[in-house]
Amino acid sequence: MTVPAPRDLGRIVVLSLADARHEWRATLCLVLALAAVLAPLLVLFGLRFGVVQTLTERLAGDPRNLEIVPVGAGRFDKAWFDSARAWPEVAFVIPRTRAIAASMDVMKPGGPAINVEMVPTAPGDPLLKGLLPATPTCTTAPNEDPAVVCPPRVYPRILPEEPAQAEQPTRPRILVALSESAARKAGGIVQGAVIAGIVGRSIDGRQENARVALNVIAIVPEATYARDAVFVPLELLDASESFRDGFAEPLLKSEGGTRPEGERLYAGFRLYGRTIYDIPTLRDRLVAGRTEVSTRAAEVEQLMSLDRNLGLLFWLIAGIGTAGFLLSLGVSLWGAVERKRRDLATLRLLGFRTRATVAFPMIQATAVAVLGVALAMAVFAIVASVINSHFAGSLGVGETACRLLPSHVGVAVAVTLLCALAASALAGLRVARIDPSEGLREL
Amino acid sequence: MGNASPLLSLRGVTKQRLAAGVRFELHVDALDLVAGERIALVGESGSGKSTLLDLVALASRPDDAARFRLQVDDAVANVVTLWRDGASDALAALRARHIGYVPQTGGLFAFLSVFDNIDLPRRLLGLPRDGSVVERLAERLGVADQLRKKPASLSVGQRQRVAIARALAHGPSLVLADEPTASVDPATADIVTNLLLEQAKERGAALLLASHDWARVERLGLARIAPEIARERSDDGVVVRSTFARQS
Repeated sequence: MTVPAPRDLGRIVVLSLADARHEWRATLCLVLALAAVLAPLLVLFGLRFGVVQTLTERLAGDPRNLEIVPVGAGRFDKAWFDSARAWPEVAFVIPRTRAIAASMDVMKPGGPAINVEMVPTAPGDPLLKGLLPATPTCTTAPNEDPAVVCPPRVYPRILPEEPAQAEQPTRPRILVALSESAARKAGGIVQGAVIAGIVGRSIDGRQENARVALNVIAIVPEATYARDAVFVPLELLDASESFRDGFAEPLLKSEGGTRPEGERLYAGFRLYGRTIYDIPTLRDRLVAGRTEVSTRAAEVEQLMSLDRNLGLLFWLIAGIGTAGFLLSLGVSLWGAVERKRRDLATLRLLGFRTRATVAFPMIQATAVAVLGVALAMAVFAIVASVINSHFAGSLGVGETACRLLPSHVGVAVAVTLLCALAASALAGLRVARIDPSEGLREL
Repeated sequence: MGNASPLLSLRGVTKQRLAAGVRFELHVDALDLVAGERIALVGESGSGKSTLLDLVALASRPDDAARFRLQVDDAVANVVTLWRDGASDALAALRARHIGYVPQTGGLFAFLSVFDNIDLPRRLLGLPRDGSVVERLAERLGVADQLRKKPASLSVGQRQRVAIARALAHGPSLVLADEPTASVDPATADIVTNLLLEQAKERGAALLLASHDWARVERLGLARIAPEIARERSDDGVVVRSTFARQS
């Protein structure tokens, strides 16, 4: 004989919530107890996240904090650069030639000649991020990052030689970026200007100059690079080094000896980590490879230490608060089950299956968790707003001292629900042991 | 009672309980109940009426049983097998569909209105939502004007009437009532018991009513089953043996 199963699971939800509403004072106490534990935790976590995130963004916003440069001259071959590019912490790396060969004079027509440092660059250089002109036809939605959606159409590189004009030697056109200070000192060079770049050498007491046309595609602000510099493709630096070493260099249309066969070795590099948190790791990796480097890892490590200490404080308080709340909720639900033994026994007697009655306290715990989280979130929103207003003077545009991401809210809800269900599980087990016959009479 | 196939049939069912040096043994040698039949289990307190009712309510597992059958809707449920197989869901389904209960004192849910209390067994079975069923029952039992109230605002007698309505609302085959008038005054007790008998009869439900009140049961003209009680002293303490026997 088969009897259809009672529709008790849906019904128990209704009954459990009706009971929680009927005993609204007890429910309210549990909700307030939860919010009293959760709201300070959210504020504390929001403060930790907001402060650390703001400091992180400030550090990460300055590419110099992501930069690692070698101290002194080394000998780095192609294999070393290939291997460094493969490190997961590396965002960008490019060789540097010897410093003595990495300078040139730049001048605009009729302007003064300024000696500038030649800095090798390539697509993806963090120092030029956001400075290079984007594809003119590319448009972005308000929530999209133009630097991602519309990658630069032009970047420092050597363009193919133009067809020779009559009576004029052909010269390749080289796209470069010029630092703001160099542009100012050279008489006000602006983006789009075509200027001359002059590299000199002295051979047997004779002074020789090689001249190239440079097309300035971007001006690098002083905040990003304070020195007088021109950002050029690596090939131009290679050519300058060869030229200064007295060798013939086709790019510079110069004559001289033949460069010996063999792989080119570089004296240094410009290397950038993906995040500021990668810098200490990269520093340690390079030092382990016997390359002394200069970084701003100390600032990063200070921030990481602050993050760790705030995290420790948070988890300590969260642990104590959560344990207290779980104990309080668990005991309250257990007590409620004891008080409602007869009701629960009557439900079983009426035909509710064990699993449905076990769900009774768990549904109430879920309701308490949902309401408690909602209340705690409301308290957090108010307190965070007060904190952010109070510290507005020390914060930049878009910066906050106390904030949470939607994912944090999701985790808070999920953890609270899990904790509430865990606390109610004991009460549920107690319910499972209630004998249906208790519903037939007063005990 | 003729030769109708019994709704409930028990043979050789036993149940033991231990309490404070007393071992209580319930023996149901034979108990048959046909559909629509109304029987009173009569006996003093501690005579095993409630223990027997627990067994029949499928709320308590027998220690041993030669036969324990419930025949409803032309099908037979072998309760012995269900208990042996630990089929608690099937037992719950049988309770929900075929049995109605009138506890000693209402057993109503304080968080539901009177209407929702009466309607609960119907909702549990997923029966069509028909307020008139509840309203008609409430009217017959004299609590129609209390339907929107919570049980706390009702008198004890009114609560018992609501409990009767709840026990009958889903059209069970068998109604069990354990001292349903124990908490009310004698006049109200007569009214409530009469209402219970009337409504069970009107709906064709069999009734098993436990009572210690011989006089009232006699007045109501109910068939009675009284246990034979035997008390013995043993090395373990006192043994109380209660034996029910009644065949249709």
